[in-house]
Amino acid sequence: MTLELKKLAEYKDIMERCLRCSMCKWIPQVQIKSWKYAQVCPSIDEYNFHAYSGGGRMIIALSLLTERIGYSDELLNIIYRCTSCGACSVSCKYLNDLEPLEVIEALRKKVIEDGVGPLPAHKKYMQLTEEVHNPYGDTHSKRLAWLPADVKVSKNAELAYFVGCTTSYRRKEIAVATTRILNKAGVEFQLLGEEEFCCGSPILRAGAEERVKSLIKRNIDKFKDRGIKKVITSCAGCYSTMKADYPRYYKHDIEILHTSELLEQLLKEGKLKLTKKVPLTVTYHDPCHLGRCSEPYKEWHGQIMEPISLVRFPVPPKPIRQGTYGCYYPPRNVLKAIPGLTLIEMERIKEYAYCCGAGGGVKAAFPDFALNTASRRVEEAQDTGAKVLASCCPFCSTNLKDAIEANKINMKFYDLTELVLMAMED
Amino acid sequence: MIKDNEFEALEKIVGSQNVTRDEAILDTYAFQWCAEIINVVNDRPPARYYIRPAAVILPATTDEVQQIVKVCNQYKLSFKAFSTGLGPWNCVSSERTIQVDLRRMNKIVKIDVKNQYAVVEPYISGAQLQAETMKFGLNCHMPGAGPQVSPLASATSMGGPGFTSASTGFAGRNVLGVELVLPTGELLQIGSLGLKSGSDWYSGDGPGPSLRGIMRGFMGAKSGIGIFTKVATKLYPFPCEAKWEVTGESPNYEFHIPNYLKFYIINYKDWDSLTNALRRFEEEEIGFMCYYGSTAAVCASFAKSRQELASQYAIHTRLKLPLTIMMAAVSEREYQHKQKLVEGLIEETGGKDYTPKLKIRDISFAEALRCLLGFHGFLITGAFQSTHGGMETIDMAARMAQLNIPLKRKFIDKKVIADDRGEGVWIATYERGHMAHCEMPTMYDSTSSESIIGMTEYSHACDVMDLEEHLAIPFFIEGDKHHEWYGPHCMNYHIWLRKIKEAFDPHNIADPGFYISSKVQS
Amino acid sequence: MRVEQAMDKIHDKLVEIIGETNVISDKNLLDTYFKRYSEDFLIKNPIKPKLVVYVKNNEEIMKILKIANEFNFSVVPISSQVIDANGAEAPYSENTILLDLTRMDQILVVDLKNRMCMIEPGVTFKQLIPVANEVGLRLLMPLMPSSGKSVLTSALEREPIILPRYHWDASDPLLCTEVVFGTGDLFRTGTAAGPGTIEEQRASGQAQKNPLGPTQFDPFRIIQGAQGSIGIVTWISLKCELLPDTRKILYIQSENLEKVIEFLYVLLKRRFGDELFIVNNLTLASLLRTSHDEINKLQSNIPSWTLIIGVGGRGPFAKDKIEFLEAELGDIARDQGIQLLSEIKNVSNDEIIRIFQNCADNPWRLRYLGGSQEIFFITTLDKTPQFISSFKKMVEAKKFSLENIGIYIQPLVQGCNCHCEFDIYYKPSDNKMKENARTLFEEASVALMEQGAFFSRPYGIWADEVYKRISPIVVTALQKVKGIFDPKNVLHPGTLCFKEERA
Repeated sequence: MTLELKKLAEYKDIMERCLRCSMCKWIPQVQIKSWKYAQVCPSIDEYNFHAYSGGGRMIIALSLLTERIGYSDELLNIIYRCTSCGACSVSCKYLNDLEPLEVIEALRKKVIEDGVGPLPAHKKYMQLTEEVHNPYGDTHSKRLAWLPADVKVSKNAELAYFVGCTTSYRRKEIAVATTRILNKAGVEFQLLGEEEFCCGSPILRAGAEERVKSLIKRNIDKFKDRGIKKVITSCAGCYSTMKADYPRYYKHDIEILHTSELLEQLLKEGKLKLTKKVPLTVTYHDPCHLGRCSEPYKEWHGQIMEPISLVRFPVPPKPIRQGTYGCYYPPRNVLKAIPGLTLIEMERIKEYAYCCGAGGGVKAAFPDFALNTASRRVEEAQDTGAKVLASCCPFCSTNLKDAIEANKINMKFYDLTELVLMAMED
Repeated sequence: MIKDNEFEALEKIVGSQNVTRDEAILDTYAFQWCAEIINVVNDRPPARYYIRPAAVILPATTDEVQQIVKVCNQYKLSFKAFSTGLGPWNCVSSERTIQVDLRRMNKIVKIDVKNQYAVVEPYISGAQLQAETMKFGLNCHMPGAGPQVSPLASATSMGGPGFTSASTGFAGRNVLGVELVLPTGELLQIGSLGLKSGSDWYSGDGPGPSLRGIMRGFMGAKSGIGIFTKVATKLYPFPCEAKWEVTGESPNYEFHIPNYLKFYIINYKDWDSLTNALRRFEEEEIGFMCYYGSTAAVCASFAKSRQELASQYAIHTRLKLPLTIMMAAVSEREYQHKQKLVEGLIEETGGKDYTPKLKIRDISFAEALRCLLGFHGFLITGAFQSTHGGMETIDMAARMAQLNIPLKRKFIDKKVIADDRGEGVWIATYERGHMAHCEMPTMYDSTSSESIIGMTEYSHACDVMDLEEHLAIPFFIEGDKHHEWYGPHCMNYHIWLRKIKEAFDPHNIADPGFYISSKVQS
Repeated sequence: MRVEQAMDKIHDKLVEIIGETNVISDKNLLDTYFKRYSEDFLIKNPIKPKLVVYVKNNEEIMKILKIANEFNFSVVPISSQVIDANGAEAPYSENTILLDLTRMDQILVVDLKNRMCMIEPGVTFKQLIPVANEVGLRLLMPLMPSSGKSVLTSALEREPIILPRYHWDASDPLLCTEVVFGTGDLFRTGTAAGPGTIEEQRASGQAQKNPLGPTQFDPFRIIQGAQGSIGIVTWISLKCELLPDTRKILYIQSENLEKVIEFLYVLLKRRFGDELFIVNNLTLASLLRTSHDEINKLQSNIPSWTLIIGVGGRGPFAKDKIEFLEAELGDIARDQGIQLLSEIKNVSNDEIIRIFQNCADNPWRLRYLGGSQEIFFITTLDKTPQFISSFKKMVEAKKFSLENIGIYIQPLVQGCNCHCEFDIYYKPSDNKMKENARTLFEEASVALMEQGAFFSRPYGIWADEVYKRISPIVVTALQKVKGIFDPKNVLHPGTLCFKEERA
């Protein structure tokens, strides 16, 4: 398969071409509207040394590859103190064509192949995932414990609601809201229940590509066995993993949708009626994995041409993942359809949104870093004047809610589905 | 290398989380844009890494910077300051040098709207400063290296050209009050900032002689004279409606072009016409931007990819000597007036308005305002550096550009640098045409030893040309080797420069690698 | 060796270098030089020079400075033909030789295309203005300087120029210099340093336009403002602008200085206007009239404050430009609720234009009462009203008449700061008035310093007061710089903060 993560050595040319321009630390330059919200990399914002940026990690990857450095605790910290949010890649690729995020992922893969990683916190949740099919170590049989008795579930529907581990065990209100909405909109769906295993995202982000492949295959086969043609999920992590990462390893023709996409569709079809006023000022946080990281990988079969000496480019052009086609508008369109709701945007949005701080194994291994990042994001939300911060990812939800609480911010957090439910007649 | 007690002394100042000697982190400071060229210049292999610092430290305040410098004095370590850090001039020149990374000093201290200046710390980017000053209808001089670099670094320590230099000058001449930590650790407050009563930032000169004279010259001292912790830099009027609206998703952004902003690319058939046009446009004070970039540069500026560049370059064969003007106005009347002037000047100077033939996207207007156009040069081969750089008159710049063509073609023929027909040139005018500088952006392959060595040889040949043809002192005459070569041809300036270094830093505590070293015996 | 004996030997050495006729020891002639600074309030205990020498080229200067180092005597340069130096020519050392550069009076280059000229120290405004204007250049010059004032000295002293739009850096209009440092070494600053001789540089298209460098320092900034204590400058290149062939003058007049300043800020931001400055009624009258009575009559008939706005155009687009500017300025004035005038009572626009590219045989500051002492400093426009108010209180406290105070506010560096000047007029023959003026001058200077006025050009007695109010690190740094370029302190010792004097 040509879409699998390359070995680190295959990125050597990219690493060597890093200009050390630091674009990876900033949102795209033409989007900067203030001093305060100009930067985009939570890692370097927290740790400040250049190594903690996308470009910095490309350099250390090169250093490791060329044996200028060896493994150390600090090196592992640098590698894993990154939410792999992909913002560095978006900014870099505005004008350049390097792949900081892929290098970071390849670096994590190498670390595991070399037996020195991942970190203990990652190892723990990887093991739990393998044992009880969720990274929290919660009882697998209680995966559906959130389900209200009055929610109608179809056994044979072609549409499955993939709840995801975090929603099932930590953000149950999202699952409840989602299923109620689907019922009210007359959408038939099935739940996998105990046949729903972790999507594999936490394992993949930690770099354990080989280890996660079997889980991916298992999940795809399960979908097929159950006649599932379309999967919706309310988790951004599950969404991008199934949509973008799964096909890199195993081709499938299952349509993957985020709940926001389905909701937008239902609104257009008139099946979703939002009639109750929800008089809130809301600002929306773009989850990285719903946005810039959700673009599928595309195969490229071409060659590198050099029509002018030293000027090389791929023919045909290589598909570039730079967040252009992430899922940004469906959640916004849904929010705007809610009567009485006012949407105010933050400065860093869409493909250059600031990460919530939870992803890439950071919440598990570096909870302080995760919380600090979320605190910065919540401050940005507050600065809009909105009273509600909304998003549509349970992992973002958890981390942002933690920050709201830790900083005693006078702001509420709602998932998109909760707001939609508020706008629906009982 | 740094000893434990030395490292502990640094830890005491900033806390253990803000100083490191971990090799992985150190390597990210040794790796630099064009480090491979500097390596070859210094007779080392063409590696992407230069020398590793002994440690990297992150101070948050001027006081911490002073303490760090004092520790360096105590233990005979050197220091090398660094803010946004683009370029090999940020690298240390010895393993006993501490890299002082000023990232945590990231405040805009003051924007004095009425008196049109801003006071900034080292880790403020040009884009950040522009975004904040725009709110008041003001603008900053944006460094030519791009909006992601530090205006403080540009004004105090590095170069100073910019794409808007026609209207925003040269960074080194935009300086007012300055705060500089000397190699002794003392704090030098230059100009009105030094007043005990009524200290403020509005003037950088006096009392008596101006100490701006020791802090930098045409080029900055690259941390060789100390660490700049704050600078007041002149601001300029925002050239058009101060509105910034970008929609769409990267890279397909759309910019809602503010009122009264217009590009002109005017084609000239020969150098005499071009230089006359540069002069005339500047005399009439039309352009927010007014510069000459070769056809390749123009195509690159407006291209989003190398494919697009290659196809555009093939199309625009009739674009010979393009003058780029960005005309900007604040009112309708001003816009109409300037438009009339432009049309009149095009006719007067024998130019042809080539603009309609180019595909200029609206986002290019945003990139122009934000001075990101030059960054497109990186598109071409993924690495570039400029040669020459002398700043004098438009005539000298034009002469330099022409003399360089056959020289550059020799290296193009060797296939060590990219083929821009030898014409890859940027001539920027300054202060309404009073001065112009000329540099030759040259694309090379930073992953190829052959290309790196070739590029280095070409750079040296350009320096030789400037000497032999009397084309002013180029950009990168810095470091002992270069000063000792050029100095005797230029009034032995290196002797005086060295005396300054020896007076203020006899023991080379401030890394002299890209400045000049003291030869005082310890 | 006693000083007198040393002087004999020095005299002989000087004769060897420049010839007997160029070494002046005649007491009467020395007295005329003494009078250039002895009456200046800035000079407390004036010292007579021992000798005056006329030089005509840099070689002579180099040789003189070499023997100054060897024989331990001091050198102070003079370039102007008139008394107009704020006491900068006053020696502080007994064994001082005045270096009279007035005979180095060649205009070396006038270059319209590159908007510059190159001049020797003895070139005066009277000499240079018509030559520059003739080719189509205008000088970036101060407010109607004395005819015999050295243009080079004016630039070296950072005298404020009346065209803030063209004042990009505080150092403007000074560009490159040729200088002999205190060591006797010749140097050229900026691109004049090389590579190549000046002729070779010009052949390659250069015009000594870039003052920066060479490389990583700016020696021209150290020489500028140094009152001859770092080097003796033998020529400079000077930035000029194009002379308009079409002019228009506009005015704002008001009793309310704050409103005028508010309007001026908008102009500065938009980079509108060529000549731009604010004067009080007495200053305006002194610029335009020549006798006390005429000045008195005019000043009582014009409002307290006048902002002069010179607008000009050149060539085929001049008319359009002026029309556009006038209309735009009109809009700004309307928005500000202030009246923009195209003429003012009792004054013709031609008279105003004549101030601009002009110098005065009869210095305007002396016209009213015959004597004037200026207090000037750098601040920002918005602070000038408070300084003016404070100064006026001091004037009143001293029972000095406010009607004898001229005020001139000159925006600089495109509006980032300004020169604020108070001219204390007095009758030289009236000892009481003169002493009162002197006391007012001394006390007000110090009081203004205490209030945060930045005396960036500390002449005479100001120097000690200024340097004790500035960071000691600055003083040490300046002394280090002095130690580099004039280690034996032969050049104007005792000036500024360079106190180490010769024996």
